[in-house]
Amino acid sequence: MEIALFAAIPFLLALLMAGLRERSKPGLQGGLLTLALAGLSLFGLLQLPTVTAQPGIYILEWVPQIGLALSFYLDGLALLFVVLITAVGAVITFYSGTYFEDGRKSGRFLALLMAFTGAMLGLVTAGNVLTLFIAWELTSIISFLLIGFYGDEKARRGSLQALLVTGGGGLALLVGLLLLAGAAGSSELAVILSSGETLRAHPWYGAIAILIFIGCFSKSAQWPLHFWLPGAMTAPTPASAFLHSATMVKAGIYLLARLQPALGETALWQGALIGFGLITLLVGAALALRQDDLKGALAYSTVSQLGVLVALIGLPGGEGLKAALVGILAHALYKGALFLTVGAVDHATGTRDLSKLGGLRSAMPAFALVALISGLSMAGVPPLFGFVGKELFIEASLKTLPLLVTLAVVTVSAALTVAMAFILFWDVFMRKAPEQADSHAESHFHPPQRWMAAGPLGMAALSVGLGLGISPLVTPLVEAAVGKPISLYLFPPGGINQAFILSMIALAGGGAIFATRSIWRGWRLPTAPTGAAIYQGLVRGVEWCADQLLKSQNGRIRHYLIVILLAVIALMSVTSLQNAVDFSRLTLEIRDAADVLKIVLIVLSLGATLTSILFRKHLLAALALGVAGYSIGGLFLLEPAPDVALVQFLVETLATVLIIMILVRTSDTERAEAMAQLWSGSHLGLWRDIAISGAVGIGVTLFALAAVANRGSTPTIATWHLENALPQTAVSDVVASIVTDFRGMDTLIEINVFGMAALGVLALLAGTRANEKKEGEHPEKAFPPPYRFEFSDALNRLAARVVLPVALLIAVAHILYAGAAPGDGFTAGVIAGLGIALWYIVFGYEGVRARLYWLHPATMIGIGLVLALINAALPLLAERAFFAFTLFPADLPAGIKLASTTIFEFAIFASVFGGISAIMEALTHPKEVETL
Amino acid sequence: MNVLFALATGAMFAMGVFQLLRRDLIKVAMGFYILFTAINFLLLAVGAFEGEHAAYVNAANQVEGGQPSDPLVQALILTAIVISFGSYALLTALIVVASRRFRTVNTDGIDRLQR
Repeated sequence: MEIALFAAIPFLLALLMAGLRERSKPGLQGGLLTLALAGLSLFGLLQLPTVTAQPGIYILEWVPQIGLALSFYLDGLALLFVVLITAVGAVITFYSGTYFEDGRKSGRFLALLMAFTGAMLGLVTAGNVLTLFIAWELTSIISFLLIGFYGDEKARRGSLQALLVTGGGGLALLVGLLLLAGAAGSSELAVILSSGETLRAHPWYGAIAILIFIGCFSKSAQWPLHFWLPGAMTAPTPASAFLHSATMVKAGIYLLARLQPALGETALWQGALIGFGLITLLVGAALALRQDDLKGALAYSTVSQLGVLVALIGLPGGEGLKAALVGILAHALYKGALFLTVGAVDHATGTRDLSKLGGLRSAMPAFALVALISGLSMAGVPPLFGFVGKELFIEASLKTLPLLVTLAVVTVSAALTVAMAFILFWDVFMRKAPEQADSHAESHFHPPQRWMAAGPLGMAALSVGLGLGISPLVTPLVEAAVGKPISLYLFPPGGINQAFILSMIALAGGGAIFATRSIWRGWRLPTAPTGAAIYQGLVRGVEWCADQLLKSQNGRIRHYLIVILLAVIALMSVTSLQNAVDFSRLTLEIRDAADVLKIVLIVLSLGATLTSILFRKHLLAALALGVAGYSIGGLFLLEPAPDVALVQFLVETLATVLIIMILVRTSDTERAEAMAQLWSGSHLGLWRDIAISGAVGIGVTLFALAAVANRGSTPTIATWHLENALPQTAVSDVVASIVTDFRGMDTLIEINVFGMAALGVLALLAGTRANEKKEGEHPEKAFPPPYRFEFSDALNRLAARVVLPVALLIAVAHILYAGAAPGDGFTAGVIAGLGIALWYIVFGYEGVRARLYWLHPATMIGIGLVLALINAALPLLAERAFFAFTLFPADLPAGIKLASTTIFEFAIFASVFGGISAIMEALTHPKEVETL
Repeated sequence: MNVLFALATGAMFAMGVFQLLRRDLIKVAMGFYILFTAINFLLLAVGAFEGEHAAYVNAANQVEGGQPSDPLVQALILTAIVISFGSYALLTALIVVASRRFRTVNTDGIDRLQR
C-alpha cells in the first residue's frame, strides 16, 4: 500500500501548486516542495531493509479483463531510482524557488515538475508493464510541456521534436511491451522477471528486444536518436537539470536494467547495447566539445554518459550493472550541480554563450566552487564520487571487452569528457573575460539570489562525501539494487591496477585536449547526415504526403459523397456474396381491395417522389413531396396504423410549411441560379449519379428483401406487446403503450433529439451573436434583410385566432385519450404546433411575441424534457425501476386513465410543441444570420 | 405485401441518393427527406405480420376482428417521423446559413469549409 504513495503524493503536490500559484512567492513554493520531497526520499531510504529482503508488491485491479492493473513493484533497483528522483527533486525545487521571480510562473513550473516527479516515480515503481508504459508516456508529455515552457518559436520546435522522437519511441515500446506480456503470459513485472528462460527462447524474442531498444534508446537519447536532447535545452534550466540530465533520460536505462534479468545475456542484447552505447559515448563526448552554448555542451556530455550506462547494462554476466548504478548516482550529482550552475550564470549575466563568458569567480564564488568540485568529479579525479564511477566503468570494460576497444573508445571518450569538464570550469570562471563580453556581462550582471547556491553546494558536498565514504554510504543502496553482495572502494585494495592507469591516461589526455582546445573547437567537420537531419527530412516528408493527400480533396462535397457511397456499394456486394439469402421464401399475396389500394398508394408515393426530382422549381418539388407524404399517410391508414397515419399527415403538412418558409428565407437569385443549373451538368455526370443511386437502390432492395425473407416466424416481441399492453400499462392502444412504456427510453431519447434539433435551428437562424461589425467590414456584401412573414389581413387574423385554441383543445383531448384512441403526445404536439405555425405566418415574429406572451419555445422544450425525466425517475424513490408504470386511482370518464404514462404523454407534447414553436420562431426571426 | 414494401424501400432509397448527389442544396435536403421515408418503408416491410385490424385491444384484452397490424414497427415509425422532421428542419436551417455565408446554394460553390 505505502509504495503507491511514492507516485501519488507528487501528483497531490502538483494540484496544491496549481492552487497556490496565485497567492504565494516562489521561495515559499520551492521550500514547501523541498520539504515534501526530502521527506519522501527519507521514507524511501527507510524502506531499504524491507525491500532488500523481499520486493514490495501492491496490486490495485483496474481493468482485469485485459490484464491491466495499477500495480506497484518496489525492489532495490526501483528504490535506488526512487531515492535518486526524490533527492534530486528536493534540490531542484529549492533551486527553482530562487530561479523564478514571479509566483505564478514558478507555481506553474513547479506544478508541472511535481506532476513529472509523480509520473517518474510511477514509472520506476510500476509493477505492470502497461502501467509502466502509461507513466512512461506521461513523462514524455510533461517533458514536452516543460521544454516548451517559455512558448517561443525555438522552445516550441524543441518540444515538438522531443515529443515526436520520445513519443514515437514510446509507440515502439508499447508494442514491445505488449509482445513481452503476451510471451510471458502476464503483464505483471513479477511474472515477467521470473520467466526469463521462456522469454529468451520465445520466437518473438527478437521483435520484443528490438522494439524495447527503440523505446529505451529514444528516451535515453542514444545515437542516432540523441538529437532531441540538445534541442530540449530550451526548457527552464531547473527542468533541464532534473528531467534531461538526472531522471527522465535515465528512464530508458532503468527499463533496460529492469528487464536485463529477463531479456539480457543474449548476443542481440549485448551487441545492441554495447554497440549503440559506445557509439553514443564517443559521439556525445566529441560533439560536446564543439558547443558554444553551455547547456548544449552539458546536454551532449549527458548523451555521452547515457551511452556509458547503456553499454554497461549490455556487458555480459551483469558485470556492468554495479558500475551503471554508481554511474547514475555520480552523474546525477555532478551534472545536476553543473546544470544549476549554468542556470545561475545565465540568470546573472544574461548569456550562456561560452565565447562571451569568463572571469566570474569573484562575482560568483560559491558557484565557482561548485563548478570546480563537480567538474573534477565529472573528469573523474580522485577522491570524488565521479572517480569511483569512472573506475568501475573502465574496470568492467577491461574485464569484458577487447583491450583495443577499451583504449580507443572508453579512454578517448574519458579524455574528451575531462577536457569538457575543464572547459566548463576554467573558461567560465577563471580565464579573463573576452573583450566584447565585458561590457555586456558587467553592465547586465546582477548577483544571484542569496540561497541559489545552496542546492548546488549540497550536491557538490555529496560528490565529495560519497566519494570519500563510498563504502559505508553507497554500498547498501547499490547492493540492494544489484541483488548480490558487492564491494565498493575509492582506491583498489590491491594497489594500482590497469583501470587506474587508464584513468590517469585519460586525465592526462584530457588535459592535453583542454590545452589545445582552440584547435579542436575550430575544426570544420565533414557534414554527415545526422539524426536531426533525418528527423527534419521525415517531418518534411510527412508534410509533403499531407499536401498530396490534400490535393485529392477537391472541396466538392458531392465527390466525397460519391466515394463514400461507392465504398458502401462495395461493402454490400462483398457481404451479400458471402451470405446467400433464400429469396424463394418470399411470397406476394394480395388478399383484398385494401391491398390493391395499398399498391396504388405505393405507386403514387413513388411517382410523386420521382416528380419532385424532375421538377426544376423548388416550390413544385416541395409540393410533390407533400403529395408523396400524404400517399404514405394513406398507406399507414390502410396498414392499419391509425396513430402513425395521423402523425404522418400532420408532420407532412408541417414539413411542407417548413420547406416553403425555408424557400422564402433563401435568396431568390441563388435559388434561381441553382434551379437553372439543375440539368446543366454533363450527361456523363448524370449517368454516373443514376448508376450510383441505382446500385445503392438495388443493394437496399436486396437488403430489405433479405430482411423480409430471413425474418423469423411468430411469435415475436410484437405478440408479447399485444398481450401485455392492457394488463401492464392499462392502455388499449398497443402502439401508445410501446411508445410511452415498453420502449419509453427510446421515446425519452427521441424527444431529447428533437428538442436539440429545434434548439439547433433556433441557434443557427436566431442566434445571439452580433454581426453588425462584420457587415461594416464588408459593405459590398451587404445583404437585404430576411423576408418578413406577416400576412396580417382581417380574415387571416381571425382564422389564426380561432385555430390556435381549437388546436390546443384537440391536443389536450389527444393526450387524455392517448391510450384509447388514435393520437398521442406526438400528434398533440404537432397539432398545436400547426396552430402556432399559422400564428407566426400571419402575425410575424414581433406580432407573436407581442400577443402570445406565454410562449417561450426553449423553456417549453426544457419543461417537457425535465418533466419526462422526473416522471421516469420518480419510481426510483419508491425503490422501483426507472420508468416503472404507476396507475393513479381516480374516478374518470370512460377512456381516460390517469397514469405515469399520461404525464409522459404530456411531457412529449410539451417538448414537441416547444420544438416546433422554436423552429417557427427561428424561421420568422427578423435577425440576419451571421455572414462571413 | 411486405415484398412490395421492400421493393418500394429500394426505389425510394435510390431516388433519395440521386437527390443527395445534386448540386442544389435544397434538392439535397429533399433527398434526405426521401431517405427518411424510405427507412419508414423498410420498417413497415420488416413488420412481424401483415395485419387486417388496428392494434387495439378491448377490455377483455383481445384484438377485435382478427389479425392485428404489428404495433412495434408502428411505434418505431411514429418516433421516426417526428425525428425526421426535426432533422429536416435542422438541415434546412443549415442551408439558410450556408446560403448567407457562401452566397450560393450550390454545393460546388461551398469550398471554404476548412475555416
